[in-house]
Amino acid sequence: MRILVAEDDRLIGDGLNIGLQKMGFTVDWFQDGDDAFEALFQAPYDAVILDLGLPNRDGLSILKEWRLNKRNEPVLILTARGDVDQRVLGLENGADDYLAKPFALAEVAARIKALIRRSNNRIEPIIAVADIKYYPDTKTVTKNDKNISLSPKELRILELFLMNQNKVLTKEVIENKLYSWDVEVTSNAVEVHVHYLRKKLGKNIIKTVNKIGYILES
Amino acid sequence: MSLKLRLILSFLCMAVLAWLASAILAWNEGREQFDEFFDTYQLVLARQLATVDWSNITSKTQNSVNKIINTLDDEGEEDDEALGLAVFDKTGKMIFHDNKNGRIFTYDNNTNGFAEQYIGKKQKKWRVVWTNSIDNRYRIAIGQEVDYRNEAALEMVEEAYIPWGYGLIVLVIACVFLIHQEFKPLQKITKDLQDRDTDNLCPMEYRKAPKEIVPLLEAMNALLLKITKMIEKERCFIADAAHELRSPLTALNVQLDVVELASDDKKTQQKALKNLREGLERSTHLVEQMLALSKIDTQTHENFDDFLDWKNIFFKAVNEQFDIANDKNIKIKTNFKKNFALKNGQSFLWSLLLRNLLDNAIRYSNVGADINIDIEENKIQISNNKTSVDKKYITRLGERFFRPAGQKINGSGLGLSIVEKIASLHKCSVTYQSVDDIFIVTISM
Repeated sequence: MRILVAEDDRLIGDGLNIGLQKMGFTVDWFQDGDDAFEALFQAPYDAVILDLGLPNRDGLSILKEWRLNKRNEPVLILTARGDVDQRVLGLENGADDYLAKPFALAEVAARIKALIRRSNNRIEPIIAVADIKYYPDTKTVTKNDKNISLSPKELRILELFLMNQNKVLTKEVIENKLYSWDVEVTSNAVEVHVHYLRKKLGKNIIKTVNKIGYILES
Repeated sequence: MSLKLRLILSFLCMAVLAWLASAILAWNEGREQFDEFFDTYQLVLARQLATVDWSNITSKTQNSVNKIINTLDDEGEEDDEALGLAVFDKTGKMIFHDNKNGRIFTYDNNTNGFAEQYIGKKQKKWRVVWTNSIDNRYRIAIGQEVDYRNEAALEMVEEAYIPWGYGLIVLVIACVFLIHQEFKPLQKITKDLQDRDTDNLCPMEYRKAPKEIVPLLEAMNALLLKITKMIEKERCFIADAAHELRSPLTALNVQLDVVELASDDKKTQQKALKNLREGLERSTHLVEQMLALSKIDTQTHENFDDFLDWKNIFFKAVNEQFDIANDKNIKIKTNFKKNFALKNGQSFLWSLLLRNLLDNAIRYSNVGADINIDIEENKIQISNNKTSVDKKYITRLGERFFRPAGQKINGSGLGLSIVEKIASLHKCSVTYQSVDDIFIVTISM
């Protein structure tokens, strides 16, 4: 899951960036309002964490503009104000949820997962396809109820396919979802990860669509 | 002792004293009146007796008179010591008396008119008028006991003043009732205050209060207003402080989470620990600044007349920041103009002001900057280069917790608020200028 983090406070932003990565998210972190606004149009994000007090462009105006431009990514706003008005204003301007500071990283991750689940019209926290079950909360995968060990990258690719069942995902989309802008990607990285996934979960779980990409059929 | 009780007791004492004083005056007056009356009466009687021909008086006459007097005693009321009468011949022999008090009179050849004499075995004081008979052969004495006159005057005063005494009791009861009634507005105020909730600081109603209590209520309302403002200020400060602490606490929280998550990644863990330390320093600085501001918020201008050793204050302020400045290769220069003169004030506050200005100058300047402190007559100017303050933010500098958006350098947003508060306590003004890469703060006295 690729997350856009817009937070100007260096220590909070850095903590969210590193912490969420450690929790299995792909994160792009911006400290400037203008940069954060533009970023959403440049990569396929699953969710956005938006601080309201950003330099150059405040969070609320960014949110408004995104929604006017039909960007429907789920947005979690971060607010240092405890008052209800600001939360209401954020929600009225298109935010999907809010989190008042101070918060813990686990809480941010849980809210983001819930938002992504909701935006994918999934209520249940477990995703199952054939004999494979994925538990997003614990990041565990079972096949025939037996635990399967996957690397973080394999896990993210599986997660991506499970959330986009019956959709063809191009190599480029997968790369964009998997890697943030500050990471160099080798040309066959996706093929390698898909190969290992098939080995661990079964040959037919992810099918190749000739010259286009891959598909996971439910 | 309550004011009500004091008033009642004071009134009671004053009323009784006034009553006693007027009774004594009346008794004195009565005595004088009685003296005048009885003296006249004695004198008239003496003159009438002086015309009597006493040469025909024999012991038979005396016996007859005695009988008549005894008969009269049975018929009317007469005070034993009311009056005495005696007639002497020139040899001092008593030839006639009234068969009562006159019998104890002793002959006095020297006195003519009134004299106060001690008469009888008991030596009681008598007022006696002596006169000669017309033929000058006899001496006539008409006397009255002085105590009798006093008692008569006292009886008269008693009769007149006992009803006044009852009146006095009624007056005191009425007065106690009235005082109690008049104190009701005070009791109402007391009850109002006692029944108030701690957060009810509404002004007291005083339009219906007696004129004498109005100034008290007005003063109380002024105090309530001051307390309301102070509490409001405290609430705002606490709300601001709580708000401003949210971000540093979040930073600590997430960095601590990163430390835990990166248990298998030493490099990331080390970086998070460094961030954690930075976050702690930032929080500590913020809390220190908030405490300093809260402390000076309660100060007033009243005690700010200490004579200050300004050179020493500047020297200490620069010295305190020397190491931090040195780390960034920043040079601080202090220039005292000839005959510089600065206001008196409170040394601690001026040191705090300078510390904040220098801390800001160092914090927001780039490596290798120069900080100049110029001290002139009634003016302190601190300028630093290699910095940038957007002009659109100049007017907001000094606002509590204001930090320009995107400010990456840690700070509390309180430093210049502290500077402005201290300056205003000393009746000085603070102005800011940003010219190219130079930022100038001027304190004018």
